[in-house]
Amino acid sequence: MNTLIVIDRLPYGDWRGREALDMAFSLAAFDRPVTLLFRGAGVNWLRPGQLTEQLDQKSVERNLSAAPVFGVSALVAEKTALRDYRLSADQLPKATSETDLTPAFYQQFDAVVVL
Amino acid sequence: MLTLHIINKAPDHPRFLACLEALAEDDTLVLMENAVMALVFKTLSLPSCYALQPDVSARALSEVSIPGVKTINYPDLVALTETHQRIVNW
Amino acid sequence: MTQTQSLSYTLVISGAPYTSQAPQSALAFAKALVTAGHQLERVFLYGDGVFLASGLVSPPSDEVNWTQAWTEFLLETSTPAVACIASALRRGILDNAEQIRYEKAASNIAEPFEMAGLGDWVEATITSSRILYFLPTD
Repeated sequence: MNTLIVIDRLPYGDWRGREALDMAFSLAAFDRPVTLLFRGAGVNWLRPGQLTEQLDQKSVERNLSAAPVFGVSALVAEKTALRDYRLSADQLPKATSETDLTPAFYQQFDAVVVL
Repeated sequence: MLTLHIINKAPDHPRFLACLEALAEDDTLVLMENAVMALVFKTLSLPSCYALQPDVSARALSEVSIPGVKTINYPDLVALTETHQRIVNW
Repeated sequence: MTQTQSLSYTLVISGAPYTSQAPQSALAFAKALVTAGHQLERVFLYGDGVFLASGLVSPPSDEVNWTQAWTEFLLETSTPAVACIASALRRGILDNAEQIRYEKAASNIAEPFEMAGLGDWVEATITSSRILYFLPTD
């Protein structure tokens, strides 16, 4: 059973994306196939150069760079959202793929979780 | 596999549109909580769907009748979850 | 129109009481699924949903006490209920063991909620036929 975890909220302003990421990492820890989708405002998780010390928060950029180590290697970003937030492909973490969000995309997954 | 989409977000929430765009042709959509405001939200084109009656009543929308929108109660929602193996909450 | 087959459900609640409708919608759904003959395997509180497990909830007497309403239902139906420990600790919901571990003045988790990790949720995704998420409003 493969699961899609969707992050569509900005980092740092609230914790919902972190909670979604924890779910993805937990699935991976139990060897359950998981894909992480960043859509809408959530694509800003992928923006390089996040300096978070002054907020006293851990950088989500660093969390994500550790994702493959924890078994979450499938990162996908919504194409139109990347454009909306002026993010280009070369700025994204390695091995992030881009996609259009059609019903067919979601149907690849047995479970879709949007927190 | 047919999917049941359940949304509780207001129609002007960014996720509402995202949910509509994810609907495959024979999927089912249920509006609950704030999502029932879609019944009167002009700028949204609502597909055929279900709306949860307690939420519709609370928000004074019981007299609103939209073609293709059917009011249901919690037992009906349970029945919908029986017939759909995939459920996505938005 | 209900099927004869009994399904197992897990309900995840990530919206807080008095901040969202999540606890109310989830309880109404939970009651309906039990009435329909299905099995509520587990209730999992995550994120702000853990506030439902606070034993110190004290609303005005003319308002529903959501923690109490859920406690009654969970005990009546013998449903296991878990508050995610990482979410709970951050929000000041502690059981006895964590009170001792963190040397806090008190513990406050309401019965019959227990603390557990996301592993419980992962297990639910495997063992339950259906899993629903009752989310925050925004």
